[in-house]
Amino acid sequence: MFTKTKKDVQSGTLALMVLKTLNVLGPQHGYGIARRIEQISGDKLFVNQGTLYPVLLRLEQEGAVESDWGTSENNRRARFYRLTRAGHKLLEAEKRDWEQTAAIIARFFEVKAEDLA
Amino acid sequence: MKTLNRFLIRLRNLVTGQRGDQRLREELEDHVAREAEANIQAGMSEEEARRRARMKLGATEAIREQYHAEEGLPLLECLVQDTRFSLRQMRRSPGFTLVVVLTMALGIAATTTMFTVVYSTLLRSLPYPQSERIVAIHDTRIAGQSAGGLMTGPRFYDIEARNRSFSSLAIFYFDESTLIAGKKLPNYVKGAGANAGFWDVFDTAPMLGRVFNARDDVPHAPRTVVLSYPGWQRLFGGDPNIIGQQVKLDQQTATIVGVMPQGFSAPGGADLWHAAQFNTNDWGNYRGDGLRDNNVFGRLRFGVTLAQAQADLDRIGEQLRKEYPSSDGAWRFTSETLREDWYGQVQSALVVLLIASALLLLIACINVANLLLSRATTRQREVALRRALGASGRRVAFQIFVESVLLALAGGVTGILLAFVLTRIAAASLPGILGRPGTIHLDGIVIGVALLISVATGTAFGVIPVLETRKVQLHSALKRGETRLGGSSGNWLRSVLVGVQVGLSLVLLVGASLLGESLWNLMKQPLGFEPEHLLTVRVLLPWDTTPEAVGNFYNDVQQRIENLPGVEAVGQISSPPVTDFHVHGSFNADWLPQVANQPAISAEIRNIAGNLLVAIGTPLLTGRAFTAADQVSTVPPVLVNEALVRELMPQGNPIGHHLLVDGQAHEIVGVVADVRGISGAIAAEPGPAVYWPANTNGGWHRYFMVRTKVPPEQLAKSIREQVYQADPRQSVGEIETMDQLLSDAVEQPRLNAAVVASFAGIALLLACVGIYGVVSHFAAQRTQEIGVRMALGATRSDITRLFVRRVMVPAAIGLATGTVVSLAANRLLRSQLYGVQPDDLRLYLASLLVLLAPLLVATLRPAIRAGKTEPMEALRAE
Repeated sequence: MFTKTKKDVQSGTLALMVLKTLNVLGPQHGYGIARRIEQISGDKLFVNQGTLYPVLLRLEQEGAVESDWGTSENNRRARFYRLTRAGHKLLEAEKRDWEQTAAIIARFFEVKAEDLA
Repeated sequence: MKTLNRFLIRLRNLVTGQRGDQRLREELEDHVAREAEANIQAGMSEEEARRRARMKLGATEAIREQYHAEEGLPLLECLVQDTRFSLRQMRRSPGFTLVVVLTMALGIAATTTMFTVVYSTLLRSLPYPQSERIVAIHDTRIAGQSAGGLMTGPRFYDIEARNRSFSSLAIFYFDESTLIAGKKLPNYVKGAGANAGFWDVFDTAPMLGRVFNARDDVPHAPRTVVLSYPGWQRLFGGDPNIIGQQVKLDQQTATIVGVMPQGFSAPGGADLWHAAQFNTNDWGNYRGDGLRDNNVFGRLRFGVTLAQAQADLDRIGEQLRKEYPSSDGAWRFTSETLREDWYGQVQSALVVLLIASALLLLIACINVANLLLSRATTRQREVALRRALGASGRRVAFQIFVESVLLALAGGVTGILLAFVLTRIAAASLPGILGRPGTIHLDGIVIGVALLISVATGTAFGVIPVLETRKVQLHSALKRGETRLGGSSGNWLRSVLVGVQVGLSLVLLVGASLLGESLWNLMKQPLGFEPEHLLTVRVLLPWDTTPEAVGNFYNDVQQRIENLPGVEAVGQISSPPVTDFHVHGSFNADWLPQVANQPAISAEIRNIAGNLLVAIGTPLLTGRAFTAADQVSTVPPVLVNEALVRELMPQGNPIGHHLLVDGQAHEIVGVVADVRGISGAIAAEPGPAVYWPANTNGGWHRYFMVRTKVPPEQLAKSIREQVYQADPRQSVGEIETMDQLLSDAVEQPRLNAAVVASFAGIALLLACVGIYGVVSHFAAQRTQEIGVRMALGATRSDITRLFVRRVMVPAAIGLATGTVVSLAANRLLRSQLYGVQPDDLRLYLASLLVLLAPLLVATLRPAIRAGKTEPMEALRAE
């Protein structure tokens, strides 16, 4: 049913993507966030878009995002998520972590056998 | 912080039951609608668009579950659910619940009560500031019997002058006197004459008024009295305006200056304290044993250890031995902590009782484990069903675990309530120092420990049925018939439990029989007197009464009591047998070599008058008793006991020989039988004793020993009246029957035996219940197998034997192990035993028989019933 190239992302990574999306786009509803993540990752990420909502709830409980009912562009009621100050900080920290990890992993992949000799 | 916040939100959601279901549904609907719109714009049909959108979203139920899990606390939620379920289960089988809870409660109650006693005495700090710095200092004879650690005044003042270890030193002597308040009748009071340092050592503020100080504690200062709380209640009804009131204490005016708080009991049983008003030259050059009547305590200076203080005391003792070889040469100082001084005697008994109660708890837990295990096997189908419906193994195990812990907790709480009652009873009725008011009480720490123990045991033994459920094979358990044949799982575990239980019961039984035998040995010892129909009456005059007045008063009272109807014989003695009273004397003898500073004889001294030997029923072996003339003689004759003759004049007749004291020769006119308990402890072999005519040395405190023809209690009132008529300023102390005193003397051994015996009884009962349950369970489980076996030709007795063997093999292994453990463990009892060895084989055999008989019954009943099974019925049963 689904192609095997799609990856079910870990919730931590998904949370980071959510934070970054809200940071770039400003307040968004769930669908908007899902859509955006899908666009950027090139349709390669989500198995189930619904898994986004438990992650949003957790971020809200942690105080990284706030949410409220609002009206969307075509006058429909939707729940909008907004990054809080704590969310900004969290994003910065996570980003640094991620970059560090990525850099280390990248260096490992660059290493050739003769370098280790 | 983040995690805590989140936890709090989730906890709030859980508690308020608030759910975001509505919000999630709206959001998901909105999501699908938007996705569908996008799909339609991409050219799909409306139906197809919605289908694709839903697929992309994923399984709504799964998302909702996940969302829900984020929202609340799944583990806690499980716990709440499981608790509700378990409570429902308990209500559904009240019999099972009751048995488990009661069994646990018994174990917990016994252990908690014993632990309370041990904690209150051996662990909790004593009720004085920095009580670990308080040291009891005893005067100890280097070789031979001491005088209960009591010290002479001069030696105390030498310590006070020479020590480098104590910041303050207390000296006090017990005294009994007559207190008259206003126009009230005279009251007999027990008091302590103490120095001012006493209050520094024990360092406790009075509840009312003040304590006496150095200015009150000088000779001829106005007399001051500090009341104990019980004394204040008994003598003055707790009158709050008591401070400053004047009373007559032994006919001298004294002022009440303070009342101590309720828990202050140093020494125990004192109604009041008054200043001793000692003067260091009160005693002149005399340092002899006649002064040995003081208790001494010291408070260590900061940073000084007990060992350092002891070294300091050794140094002083050595100096005194050199300076006063004749009086101090045979003595040294020893010291111990206040706790050792108070509770050292009972420590080993308490530890034994605590271990016994722990064994009982273990047996109770094993029984509970057995019950839980039986239930787990009967619930295999339920477990299998739940597993089949999708519960994870862990989830089922968790639920069963919660059930075990809940049962244990219920048992624990019931046990603690029971322990609360038991401790109240114990606090009021324990013998000796343990029974002092305020000593024993249940507190938060003990309750906490008890709860912890019950949860820990519940957890440990709750694991057993959990292990059982993990083995459940879904298909076979659901097919139910599978358990028909062969031993089902868990049986080996049950056998082990039976073995352990039987073994532990044996350990308790052997302990109980050893202690019982000791008690019996103690009580059947020849006493050397006849305790029945014998009344002891405490009477004492002020200590400074002239010897003449003393003699007249006691002669008068002797006459009056003799004339009362129902009285057979009356005598007087300075202290009756089995009371804790020490007066030791040293003598030379005309038939023994005399060495300077080393008296040949050290013996208990008792002053007697009246018709004492006849009154207490002690036989006169040879010679004669004292006459009226002996009581007024200036060089009075003496009586000695058999032990003295046996020890110091094995061949030969002592009559006509002399004891030498201070250069005077006192003729031995008679030999009396040994009286047990003459120096307090009934377990001690009677040592040498010398009896003096009481009126020759003005002994002002005496007991009347009254042998009666009627029940002795009936005479108490008329005796009090006679004393009042003889001297209205005079009080009468305790009036007790000798039977009562004897029973007090064996109270600790009796308590040990009674407690361990009741533990052993309960253990035996539990073991029987456990074994009965196990055999019944085997039989029920294997009804079909029995049918098959019988159909194949097994006889009824074959079937019975099968089950008996099943239990008796582990039981026999348990008994063998229990015997070995008993042999090792009962060494702990040695200090509590009297006249019996801890490896007495007779008692082991007896215990084995006592244990085996009910066990056999418990095994045979269900086994025989199993043998009576009708084969056809058994086969049809399923």
